[in-house]
Amino acid sequence: MFTSLLAPFHYDYMVTALWTSALIGGVCGLLSGFVTLKGWSLMGDALSHAVVPGVAIAYLLGLPFAVGAFTSGLLAAGAMAFIKMKTPVREDAVIGIVFTAFFALGLLLISLFPSRVDLKGIIFGNILGIATGDVVQVIIVSAVCLLVLALKWRDLMLFCFDPNQARALGLRVGALHVMLLLLLSATAVAALQAVGAMLVVAMLVTPGATAYLLTDRFSVMLRIGAALGALTSFFGAYLSYFLDGATGGCIVSLQTLVFVAALLFAPKHGVFASRRTLRRARAQEAAAP
Amino acid sequence: MPTRSCGPFSAQGTHRRAKFPLPVSTSFSPPLSLAAIDVAVTYPNGLTALRDASFRLAGGTICALVGVNGSGKSTLFKALMGFVTPTTGRVEIDGRPVREAQKQSWVAYVPQAEEVDWTFPVSVHDVVMMGRYGYMNFLRIASAADRAAVETSLRRVGMWEYRDRQIGELSGGQKKRVFVARALAQNGRVILLDEPFTGVDVGTEEAIVTLLRELRDEGRLILVATHNLGSVPEFCDQVVLINRTVLAYGPTSEVFTAENLTRAFGGALRLFDLAQSTVNDHDGRSVTVLTDDERPLVLGKRGHLEYLNRTGREQLISDREEEQKGKS
Repeated sequence: MFTSLLAPFHYDYMVTALWTSALIGGVCGLLSGFVTLKGWSLMGDALSHAVVPGVAIAYLLGLPFAVGAFTSGLLAAGAMAFIKMKTPVREDAVIGIVFTAFFALGLLLISLFPSRVDLKGIIFGNILGIATGDVVQVIIVSAVCLLVLALKWRDLMLFCFDPNQARALGLRVGALHVMLLLLLSATAVAALQAVGAMLVVAMLVTPGATAYLLTDRFSVMLRIGAALGALTSFFGAYLSYFLDGATGGCIVSLQTLVFVAALLFAPKHGVFASRRTLRRARAQEAAAP
Repeated sequence: MPTRSCGPFSAQGTHRRAKFPLPVSTSFSPPLSLAAIDVAVTYPNGLTALRDASFRLAGGTICALVGVNGSGKSTLFKALMGFVTPTTGRVEIDGRPVREAQKQSWVAYVPQAEEVDWTFPVSVHDVVMMGRYGYMNFLRIASAADRAAVETSLRRVGMWEYRDRQIGELSGGQKKRVFVARALAQNGRVILLDEPFTGVDVGTEEAIVTLLRELRDEGRLILVATHNLGSVPEFCDQVVLINRTVLAYGPTSEVFTAENLTRAFGGALRLFDLAQSTVNDHDGRSVTVLTDDERPLVLGKRGHLEYLNRTGREQLISDREEEQKGKS
């Protein structure tokens, strides 16, 4: 029994998949705190879809996938900013138009060269079959993101909470905005490898939303988010070995389960806790003359 | 480090006017000047919110920015804060561009309650610490001086006991005090407050006014954007009156005239002219009430409800006059 539980660790590809997933999950989980509080969930979804044509072109040209994906994501973000600035069209509509345009272009490219680009791998992820070169790219992207967040998380927190105060103190709010956007693009690129373009947004939102239910302190929320992201990604990949199912599906399902558990049982913001508080308040009211 | 809770927010009445020296890093600062010079702001959609706006203020004063919604008041406010760059003209703080003043942490800002995300997972202490970012290094790690400034500021507004509360779990008045404390911790030399008395209880309003007077006496320049006309003569030394441009500025008694206010507010001002109202005939006093957004409720002698207009209320007036004669 015990030996069968350890079976995944006998395969090099499984070991690589496990710790790469955990690394990606941790970085995404860390960033998800900012994404959920800034209200950028849709932006995360958009960027993760917008990287697809870049990945396709990178594979076609034999470039590192991260370079193509990152360029593509930034082009999309730039296009959104441009349209938003030049027209009165609402932001969510702008995001919707741009990311579907990019995604459509990606699908078209892949369908034109089916033998050279792996559609399924891009859309659904293929962490179990990840190439060594791709692992290196994931590590570089993750390390840069972690470094930037470690140095600048307090500034980014102020930017998310009160951009006017940041401005009043002479911080470069535009630069912080771009920094967060770059981090989002970079993590979306890394997460593409683990769960695929369709599910990246879950990695960038669910751990942060779960952590938000569990604490009232931002620094704690970041740590919980990162831990949840890493653990769910590790065990999701681990479970996918036994279930022989899609790794991305396993990871995100696991994250959703943890979120539902937090939603129900969180000590202060959970459904049951709210009911308890309400009951206590009513009881106090009834007891008072 | 002071540990007692004192100042205008203290429960101990005897200490109401007590002042606390701020820690070394937030010491007394010499007065500085603020000038708007021919400021015009045109938004990308072509709307010119403000033109030819000029005024000059020196530290050690409480000044109200008064104007109706859409008068360019908040645009001027944003220009002073450096949130919008004037299309033409400029804003100078101590003779320098706003951006340089910002980098010195000179400009502190107390936002409107609606602008703040009260569900954000930050504590009262965290928020006040955000006033100290300008004094911190690249990593924004708080030093002992930063912590001391936060504690002093929180004690000064009577919120130290609430330091670990999530900011959403406070009353309207407490929330406002936290953001005033942040401006204190920042040691801003120009402090701008946007509608500071909206959603605030009367006790807190009085305490904030007392604190603002103390800050003024320390040489700071306090700017209050408000549409609450009644509160302005109570605590503001000067007024800048705005309607698309600066209509008038100077001492409150000179600027706050019925004529100026009518120009500033146009049709948006409600007039409760007691010469026309039911009060005057039986009360004999001549008072005019001006209000911008709400109809005033006026109670006359002995708490009688009074009406704007005498037409159709002849019976009421004669009743009151009878009553008046009976008493005298």
